[in-house]
Amino acid sequence: MEQSGTAALLQGAVQDLSSDVASALRGGGHAPVTGGPEDGITVAAVRVLGADLLLPHLLARTSPPPDTLEAFRLTVKTFPPRADAAPTVVWSHWAMRRTLRRFEQNDGLTPAAGEGAEPDAAWLDGATWQYLTHQLAVLAPLAVPGADSAVARAARGRPVDVARGFVRAVRRRDWQQAAGAGRWLTLLDGVPDTLGLDSGLDFVELMGGSDPRVALQVAAARAMRRSGALV
Amino acid sequence: MPSTDKTVAELTGIRCVDIEAALDPAEPDGVYRDSRECAALALTSGTTSLLLSPPTPRPKKG
Repeated sequence: MEQSGTAALLQGAVQDLSSDVASALRGGGHAPVTGGPEDGITVAAVRVLGADLLLPHLLARTSPPPDTLEAFRLTVKTFPPRADAAPTVVWSHWAMRRTLRRFEQNDGLTPAAGEGAEPDAAWLDGATWQYLTHQLAVLAPLAVPGADSAVARAARGRPVDVARGFVRAVRRRDWQQAAGAGRWLTLLDGVPDTLGLDSGLDFVELMGGSDPRVALQVAAARAMRRSGALV
Repeated sequence: MPSTDKTVAELTGIRCVDIEAALDPAEPDGVYRDSRECAALALTSGTTSLLLSPPTPRPKKG
């Protein structure tokens, strides 16, 4: 499908941010994001990248630069989900609110608002393993050590299904889905040893790592795997 | 800054659609790997075999 000019611009901005975050997760530094109201593309790209913008700081337990936190806060405020938004849109926004609240509390700031009640996760009840894996991969920013949510609980309850979905995504060459599923698997108990997750992540990076969004998820998975974290 | 203003104006009309599309993407059609990729996978898979097991049947279209 042909993209609109704005969609292509947005995709490019998301890739630039993803590349920056992936670099930071590998220990390569993290350039501050400055997305004021005058920079609509950056603010929109932060919304698409979601909570992962601050993942390096979350994992390293460091404070993000004030400009980055302000861009993040502005994005949360600018793009509330519509009432009829898809569950992934609603959950993505909730994950950003939760992350924002965490950093505001860490920095001794008064949170502008709480993350609010958890959205409904009923759409994952009884989902096929293929659909579950796809949705989890889209919501990979929720795969964070020690961060509970109804989506994380759904993933925890079906580690073998997520493993099957990971293999399916690899076979379909859907590297973004495979990388997102791989990130979830690093946090789950009960993943079959025969999966060969480390080798699988190597392969996903080899084949799809030129896409910064894939590189980000693989880097996140590795960073969390190194720390031995579980959801 | 007129150019920046213009960009924001252009975004205002359609960005919600683009953003929601990016946040709720449909699963792309699968593209099945070829033998060269199989070889690369064999080299990286070490002693594991699950990723190299026979592929699942392709879904029937129509």
